[in-house]
Order: sequence, then C-alpha cells, then structure tokens
Amino acid sequence: MNIPFKTTLRTTCVAAAVLGIGAVAASAEPKTNMMHQWAQGSEAAAIAKLGEMYEAAGGKWEQTAIAGHTSNTLAKLRSDVVSGNAPAAVQLKGPEIAEWNATGATANLDETAAAQGWDDVVAPELLTVMKPTGSWVAAPMNIHRVNWMYSSKAILDDLGIDVPKTWDEFNAACDKVQAAGKTCIAHGAADWSDTTTFDSVVYGMDAELYRKAFQEADLDALRSDGMVKAFAQLRKMVGYMDDGINGRSWEQSMTMTMTGEAAFFLMGDWTVASANLAGFKEDMDYVCTQAPVDWGGTGFILNADSVVFFKQKDPDYIEGQKLLAKTIMSPEFQVTFNVAKGSIPARTDVDLSTGGFTNCQQKSLADLKVSVDTGTLVRSMAHNMTVLQKYRGAMMEVITEFVADDSISPQEAANQLADAVELQM
Amino acid sequence: MQSPPDVRHPPKATRRWADMVPQLVLAPTLIAALVWVIGFSLWTLWISVSQSTLLPDMAYQGFEHYAKLWGSKRWTVAYQNLFIFGSLYVVGTLIVGTLLAVLIDQRVRFEGIWRTIYLYPLAISFIVTGTVWRWIFHPNTGVELALKDMGWVAARFDWITDRDLALYVVVITGIWHASGFAMALILAGLRSVDGDLVKAAQIDGASMPRIYRRVVLPTIWPIFVAVAVVLLQFAIKTYDLVVALTQGGPGVSTTVPAIVVYDLMFQRGQIAQGAAAAVMILVALALVLIPYAVWTGWQKRKEGTRHG
Amino acid sequence: MADATTHQEFDPLATGGMRRRLVSKAIVYGALGLFALVYLTPLLIISLNTLRPLEDIVRTGFIALPEAETMTLRYWGEAWGSFCIGGTCEGVSRFYKNSLMMTIPATVLSTLFGLLNGYVLSKWRFRYDGLVFGLITLGVFMPQQMTLLPWAFVLGKLGLSNTIGGLVFVHTVQGISFTTLFCRNYFVSIPDDLIKAARIDGAGFWRIFRRIILPLSPPIVIVTVIWQFTGIWNEFLFGTVFTSGANQPITSAIVAFSGSGTGERHYNVEAAAVIMAAIPPLLIYVVGGKYFVRGLTQGAVK
Repeated sequence: MNIPFKTTLRTTCVAAAVLGIGAVAASAEPKTNMMHQWAQGSEAAAIAKLGEMYEAAGGKWEQTAIAGHTSNTLAKLRSDVVSGNAPAAVQLKGPEIAEWNATGATANLDETAAAQGWDDVVAPELLTVMKPTGSWVAAPMNIHRVNWMYSSKAILDDLGIDVPKTWDEFNAACDKVQAAGKTCIAHGAADWSDTTTFDSVVYGMDAELYRKAFQEADLDALRSDGMVKAFAQLRKMVGYMDDGINGRSWEQSMTMTMTGEAAFFLMGDWTVASANLAGFKEDMDYVCTQAPVDWGGTGFILNADSVVFFKQKDPDYIEGQKLLAKTIMSPEFQVTFNVAKGSIPARTDVDLSTGGFTNCQQKSLADLKVSVDTGTLVRSMAHNMTVLQKYRGAMMEVITEFVADDSISPQEAANQLADAVELQM
Repeated sequence: MQSPPDVRHPPKATRRWADMVPQLVLAPTLIAALVWVIGFSLWTLWISVSQSTLLPDMAYQGFEHYAKLWGSKRWTVAYQNLFIFGSLYVVGTLIVGTLLAVLIDQRVRFEGIWRTIYLYPLAISFIVTGTVWRWIFHPNTGVELALKDMGWVAARFDWITDRDLALYVVVITGIWHASGFAMALILAGLRSVDGDLVKAAQIDGASMPRIYRRVVLPTIWPIFVAVAVVLLQFAIKTYDLVVALTQGGPGVSTTVPAIVVYDLMFQRGQIAQGAAAAVMILVALALVLIPYAVWTGWQKRKEGTRHG
Repeated sequence: MADATTHQEFDPLATGGMRRRLVSKAIVYGALGLFALVYLTPLLIISLNTLRPLEDIVRTGFIALPEAETMTLRYWGEAWGSFCIGGTCEGVSRFYKNSLMMTIPATVLSTLFGLLNGYVLSKWRFRYDGLVFGLITLGVFMPQQMTLLPWAFVLGKLGLSNTIGGLVFVHTVQGISFTTLFCRNYFVSIPDDLIKAARIDGAGFWRIFRRIILPLSPPIVIVTVIWQFTGIWNEFLFGTVFTSGANQPITSAIVAFSGSGTGERHYNVEAAAVIMAAIPPLLIYVVGGKYFVRGLTQGAVK
C-alpha cells in the first residue's frame, strides 16, 4: 500500500484524538472512503462538510472524487468491484440502486435505519428507490426539483412580460423577446440538458403521458400523438435558442439569463446554488417559477442524490458505513449540504425557514407537498430516476439528435424514440 | 531485407540452456502479450455474446447484442465517423507533415526552433488539446467572438456547432496534434535520401517541387506507411480528444466508437453490448491490417524472388 | 537504410537565378511562419489566459490580450498550491509526484524490454518469430476502453488495485508493444555480419547485446523514451479508474477541466494547471526533439 506520510500522520492524530475523547468503541475504528463525482465548486464544498462532520463524529474520512463525467465514476466502480475491492460508499442513484442491489454486492442498512427511524422521516416518494426490495441499501441526501424555470428579471420588466404559466404563454413570450432582439432560451446542448428541457416539456403538456412514457417506458406512449406534440414544442423552443448552444456549459447558459442576455433558462435547482455563489440575486436578477404546465396545477419532477454502501470485510469499514449513513441522514448534514446544493433535504422533518435556505428552496418544499397531495409528482427521466440506463441512454440519443438536427420531424422523432427503446428490450 | 544469420544451428557441444536465452528473454513479453492481446480479446468476444449487464457475466446469451448495436443510430454514425475521421486524419496529417518536412529540409535557419514548434503539440494531452481548440472554435468564446469584438459584427465561424462540419473540426485538431510527428519521421527520411539522386535531377533541370514529387518522396514511401500505421492506431483509439472537443455533439454527429464502447460498458451497464462494439472496432482494424499484412508479405516474396 | 552522413550536400534554395532564389526563400519562410503561428496559437491562448481575471475571460472570451491593470501571476500560485481538485485544496503539486512515480519506472521498464525484445526478434531469428512480433505489435492497437475490466481483474488478482505500482505494470505491459516495434525495426538495420563475426569470436547472447547492440542504441532509446514518457504522462483513463484520491496522476486530476462539471469554472487557474501538467513532456520534447529526429533518421522506423 502506498499511503503518503501526511495521511498517515493525520490518521494517527485523528485516531489519537478519537481515543482520547473515547467517542468510539475500541474494537473498530470507523473508516470510510466515499466515491462520488462532486469534484468541483459548491458541490465539492458540500462534500467537504460531510467529511468534517464525519471526522467530528469520530470517523476517519477519505474520499475519491472522480472528475468529469458520470461514466468515469461508474467505470471506476465497476472495475473496483471486478477487482474485488468494492468501495465502501458510492454516490449512485435511481434505478441503479436496485440494479446493484440485485447483484448482491450492496450492504444492508436496515439496522441503522431502524435505530434512526428513517422510515418515519424520509420523504415517502424516495422509499421505493432507496429500498428496492424492502431493505434499505441507500441513504438519500437530498431532493432536487428538475422542472424549474429561471426568468431574467431585467427582460421581463423591460418588455412587460409576465412569467409564462403555460407553454402557449411561453411561446408568446418568446416571440416578444425575439422581436426585441434578445435570445429567448438560454441553453447549452448536451444529451442530459436537452433531455432535462424535454422532461419539463412532456410533463408540462401531459403529466399522464410523462408517467407512461418516461417512468414506464411504454412504447405506445412514446409513439403517441402527445409525444409528437411535445417534440413539436421542443422544435419550436430550439428556434428560440441562439446558435451557440453546442459546446456551451450549463453554467454559461445560466449566466446568460442572470445577466439579461437571454429571457428564460430551464434547469434543475442546482442552478440556485451556482447563481448564489456567482452573486446573482433572486428577485433582482432572476425569478424562479415552475416550468410551464398546461394542466393548471402544481407539478414537481423529482431527482435525488443518494449514497449506496457496498459489502466490506474490514470491520473498520463496516463500522464506518454505519457512521456515514448516520451522518448523511443527520438533520445538520441535510441542512448544510442542501443549502449549498440548492436542493431540499430528503428528510421531511427539517425546518427550511432557518439555516440559509433561499425562497426558491422553500417554494420547492411547498410545491413538493402540494404535488404529493394532488398526485402530480413524477421522477425525472433525464436525471436517471426512472427507467434503466439503457432505455434512458437510448432516449437521450434521440432527443439530443432532434435538438441538433432540424431535419428530423416531430413525428419521426417520436417513432425513433419508441424504436430506440424497443431495440434495447 | 538481409537474410538472418544462421543461429538456429549453433556449433556443436551445445549448451542447451544457453541456446534458450533468446526465447527466455522474450518469454515474459510473449506471455504478457498472449494474455493482454489474445486473452483480453477473446474475453471481450465471449462477453459480447454473454448475458453481462451491470457486471461481467459469463453465461451465454447469443448474438442479439450485435443486432441491437447496429440498430442504434449513434453506433452507425460512430462507425462511419471512424472511417471518415480515420482516413482524413491519416491523409491530412501525412500531407501537412510532408509539407513541413520539405520546408524544413530547405536548409532553413534555426531549424531546431521550427522543428520544436511543430513537434510540441505531441507533448500536449488530448484532453488539453480538445479543450483549448473548443475554446478557439466555439462561436461564443473564440475566433468568432474575437472578430466581433474587433468590429466585424457579421463574422461567423461556427463549424463546431454545425453538425455537418463538426467532424472536420475534430480532424483539424487531430492533424494539429500529430503532424509534427509525421514531420519528424518524414524529415528523417528525407535526410537519408542519397544526395546524388537529387543532384542528378537538378542537373537535368528539374524544379525543386518536381524533384520532391518525382524523385525524393517516392524513395521514402516505407516511412509513409510506418507513419500511417502509428496514426491509424491513434485514430482507432480516439476518445479523449472528442470528449474534450465536442463531447460527441452536436447531437451524435461526432461520436466515435471508443465513446460508444465506454458509454455502453460503464455508463449504461450494458457490458455485453459494449463488448460487441469493441469487437466491431477490432473488425475495423482487421479490415485495414489484413490487407496491409498480405501486401507486405507479397512485397517480401517479390523481393525474395528478385534477389534469389 | 542509409547512414546519416550521406546527408545531401547541396542547398536546394541555392539553385536558379538570384531573383528566383529570393522568391523561393520568401515562400519557404513565409510558409514556415504561417504554420508556426497556427501551431503556437493554442499555447499562446492558454498562457495568456493564465494572467487574466475571470471577469475579463467571461466578458471577452478566451481570445484577447490581458489588460495591463488587471494582469496577475497569482493564478499560477493557486494552481500549484491551493486550487481545489477532487475535494482537496492543494493544487496540482501533490499529483506531480504520482505522475513521476508512474511515468519514470514504466518508461524505463518498457524501454529495457523493448531493447531486449527488439534485439532477439531482429538478430536471433527462430521459428515463428514473425508471428511473435506481429502478436506483440498488435497490442499497439488495442482500444483502452475494452481492456479496462480485464485489467481491473488482473490488478485485483495481483493485489495492485489502487496503487501506482498497478499503473506502472499496466503501462509497462502496454508500452512494450511500442518499444518492441521501434527497437526491432531499428536493430534490423544493424548489419548481421557484425553479429556473425562476434559469434565466431565466441561472444554469447548477452555479450553481443552489451558490446554491439547497446552502444548502437542511444538514438532509438531516445525515441522510445520520448514516446513512452509523453504517452504515459498524458494518459488519463487508467489513472482515473485504477487509482483514487491522493494516488492519482496529474492528467487524471486535470480531466475535471474538460468536463461539464457543475461548479463555477476558474478558467485562469485551470489554464495555469494545464500548462504545469504539460511542462515535463514539453521539456522532454524541447530538449530531446533534436535527438528524436536524429534517432529516427538513423532508421528507427521503417
């Protein structure tokens, strides 16, 4: 093993401190190494907080932050499992939790969950994801809302536009914005961001269609007239974007809206965290509202981050997993992490009115409650919360191609979408 | 080619063990190559017809992963791109490399400086190469913005966002990266050409471009083949360059097979289908290498009969 | 292959009349300059952006000169010592050692094996040697993505997971394909009569290697060292997948800058980090470039 001197030194110090305080049983020294993809910026800072809390609770914290793309994280996870060194804790989400659970490589958290009463405090809509076969295998960190729309305050005021509530209103607003020589939709094209936009479009036009098509991968729904209409709306929206969308990052698009260069930006609530960090102010630079819906209610497309634990042999790491699960689920961490990340806690018993949550975040929580009560809540396909990756990937290919290539008609796109999914069945 | 020295039958009083030294020296490499070239390829081949999804699973399933792969538009685009990108990149690099080598061969001053300038891109990783050229090519950050800032409002330079042209951006960037290498090898070749040949042609009154085209370059064709093989290897493995430059976009227009393999195997948990894609890359490779091997074999035999 | 000393002893530009000579000189230098400009532009752009504050970059894009009053060198310091990468705010300095510890042994080992293999395959012909050579060189073409999982399995069995030693192992094995290809093709041009004569004098395998082959090897050693060093240094996939945290090589650490990460981007610091990461291979090319071409001239590749 190749442990740098510094780390060894730190370990010794931590161990000494821990023993001195006597916070931990002498039998096992809780240790963990969490693998995740939050390598930069506010997210990295949020994870650093987790590390501090973990060490304060008497654990020895290590992390493997894998930069760049999700596939790098998953490549590392797979090769670690293949090499027989499954990581102690990994950031994984959605249907992947169930898939990894089915391989038998994941650890069971029921004991910790029961002791902590997770079943009572975790938002009910997360339970099926975190407990794929009835046992806890993942600890949820947050709830993100995907169907947000950020509007440029400056453009709204200048042109006298109200925030559009339906897609028709949205199109009308865009026509006005374009007539005034501005870009209407700020966008950076990539498969996941194109699909994020399309999530909101399909859901906003027909929530039932969204469920059938994106949660159940129903082929008829994917091919339906409703889907054709949704593609037609997406085509229209591509026309409202400027010609620099390819190769632009989502933060650059965000900045376009915040600085009044573009009117609207459709993106999940992690935008709030980045906007705050960049010094943009709610109600001065931007307004956050739900993305347009044609059915007049309150909607919520949910996305959640979570940590999955893999079976370990070393008792130190097993002990460490319990401590990490406990730390992640603690109200203190849920507040710190989510304030930094723009999301809301996965626990329903956390008070958002204190601790630095923004208005957008509080609105998110309120809307979540309404959405659960009225039965409009869905999970996000774009953010890997519904169907298996192979279906999601196939759909994203078609959607991103549709955005990039305006020779594809909405009818063709709907057929391609269904065909691509069917092919992988 | 010179005939090998006769070492298969050394003098009598054989020290058998000592005779084995060459083979023993080669053994570790041979074992390693057997494992990682043949072994890994066979493993991939088997996985491509197995039931593997999230993790490798050796149970047999069948050939439907190939059918699914070829049914996906992204893959057909990627496979096609491999051939388009591969040929343009190899040919383009050879042309630019030759041009640079010929220019440097004109007894220019400060040869070392010129050579270093053209060679340095090879030292830069593909990730960095791709990122910087994305900055340059992107209309919002690069040349187009600079031209607009200078007052040319109608300036347009947006190949990277045009699905029909984006692949050429990848080709240009690839050529920038590798042409110095081609130059170095071709320059080495030019330096080895017999000066008398050139002098004779000069006395005949041929112009320099003509001498290069007719006399010098044809004599160093083996070097072109060697460079092409090394470039081909880059082309087939191309992954990080595209990821950093275009991420395979716009849409799927610049996707290359290595990206699909990586995505299927790791992002999507379709290891079997990813392995099928990897096998198809090997097939593409065979399509190029087998004719080459046959051709060199034929060349050798021809030379053999000529000398023998 | 002809020896380097038969280098043509004439000046191609010295032909024709005075005017024609001038015109061709102008064309040659003009073309060289134009190419040089294109080749240097990316380096220039990265370098200039290391000096510019983020606001400037966001406002005027990447292609602009630094402004005199806002120009600063402090981003270099940040990149080296305090920038946050992968959750640790110690800059790129801590990854440097990893990269060196990976690249140097792997380069040395693969070069040594390459020399020996090349020597055997060119001078000690045996049955099926062509096949063996073909098999080894085939390794040059193996797509990395395909070999990831098998390598992970092998490294796990060898107990080398998550170590720099594991990376050295993988890069050595893969590198041997290249070094063997280069060395074998180079040694083929050493006259067999030399070997024959030595054998008649009673020299054995190792003695011939030490006395004849090694002294003739420096050019090809330089070629393989340059090739291997830059290739291994710049590789990121294996580094990312087979090591973690503090063991990662520098190229894996800076991959973050290419991705669509979800935090704000510090282009200036990232640009400085990118240059720092590129310095060792650049240095190798600048210093060794002359020998690289010379090595190739003497028949490294045919």
